[in-house]
Amino acid sequence: MRFLKFLLVPVAVAMGTIAVQAQELYVFSEPASNMAAKSIGFRLTNEGVFSPSFSSRLIPELMVGFNKNFMLHGQGFFSDMDGKYKAEGAGLYAKYRFLSIDEVKSHFRAAAFARVGTSNRPTYSEDINLEGDNTGLQAGLVFTQLLHKLALSSTLSYSKAFDNIGDKTITGMPEPDHMLGYSLSSGYLLLPFVYKNYNQPNLNLYFEVLGKTNPENGRSYVDFAPAVQVIINSRTRVDLGYRFEVTGNLENRYNKNMYMARVEFNFFNALK
Amino acid sequence: MNTIKSLIILSIVLFAGNVSAQQISSVDLQVTGLTCSMCSQATDESLRTLDFIETIEPDLNKNIFVLTFKKDKAVDFDQIKTKVEDAGFSVGNLDAVFNFNNTKVDDKGLAVAGTNVYQFLNAKDKTLNGPVKATLVDKDFMSGSAFKKKAAQVSLESLKSGSGMVNGKMTRIYHLSI
Repeated sequence: MRFLKFLLVPVAVAMGTIAVQAQELYVFSEPASNMAAKSIGFRLTNEGVFSPSFSSRLIPELMVGFNKNFMLHGQGFFSDMDGKYKAEGAGLYAKYRFLSIDEVKSHFRAAAFARVGTSNRPTYSEDINLEGDNTGLQAGLVFTQLLHKLALSSTLSYSKAFDNIGDKTITGMPEPDHMLGYSLSSGYLLLPFVYKNYNQPNLNLYFEVLGKTNPENGRSYVDFAPAVQVIINSRTRVDLGYRFEVTGNLENRYNKNMYMARVEFNFFNALK
Repeated sequence: MNTIKSLIILSIVLFAGNVSAQQISSVDLQVTGLTCSMCSQATDESLRTLDFIETIEPDLNKNIFVLTFKKDKAVDFDQIKTKVEDAGFSVGNLDAVFNFNNTKVDDKGLAVAGTNVYQFLNAKDKTLNGPVKATLVDKDFMSGSAFKKKAAQVSLESLKSGSGMVNGKMTRIYHLSI
């Protein structure tokens, strides 16, 4: 009991005294807001699972902001999930912001996105992950609301899987067809309390809820995904997160209980 | 004869100097929706691509950028707005300090200063001299809801469209509140 008090007091003090600022650079999802026009970003993501044995995936990603409303990501997927480290496929992600209602201390933005991904992995789950595990298409909507000190974002998506490259469906295993996805994300700026200059590191905390449902049979899962983020020199971003299943009945999921580590570099006004 | 020549040259130099002298000494630009220093940095770097800006001093806590301008370049408010929007944000407020030099505001509140035409909402029939701080009340220089309110209060066609007839020519008009 006393131990619990020890834990709770600092948390309560932190909640009460810190002027919490909103943050919308989500780790496991994308906000409706876009990157700056004419800027280029480069991401290197490493994600992996510890069970049944440790395996990981490397995702280099190039991001381009063509104008204030339209941005494009290109990704490559490499993993040792089928033994040796090898290239699995590639992906494209496009996002178009079609609504911005900006007030002084709040904004509401909405964007539409589409993703195409390829993979040469064998499939063994009805889950669809277009970032390495499946070949298919995804389309969806993102809504992000900044309200004083809380940034909330919600994503709705539909994914359709096609045969993976080489069609290595394992007999007797469930086959992917389509999936509905949704997420709810929140973010807080924890540090600095007071800004002095661009070189001060920012420390951000995120909590996201990620879910998917197979509309065919209702099988689904819900993950909780906490993450921490450090922004260095106002242009380099480091993310560390972990997603774990809270409830679900989808067999052989790819990204169940998965960690994610990412570094992102931004180059503003890189395009003429 | 020589004296007259010198006087003419001197007056030309003075007049030319007057025209090119910077009329806008500084701008306090408030940007909405900035949630982190990376967003501020993106806005800062976007503004830096404008050739008429001399310095940018950000207040990261209030999301205000204080801009100063090069002496020989004309300030384009619309370009400032475009650069903020390119970075993904919006202008919440723009206060400018004008250095007026015998600028005449006519009976309708219209004034021509340098390359810009200004419509004053709360000044007419007067001559402006020296530093005057004014707020730009045009569309996209304040939040959408604030502009709607302003446009309903002020029944000016030029405020809604952003331009009007000046000396028989369709001209961009900036609206100022002192």
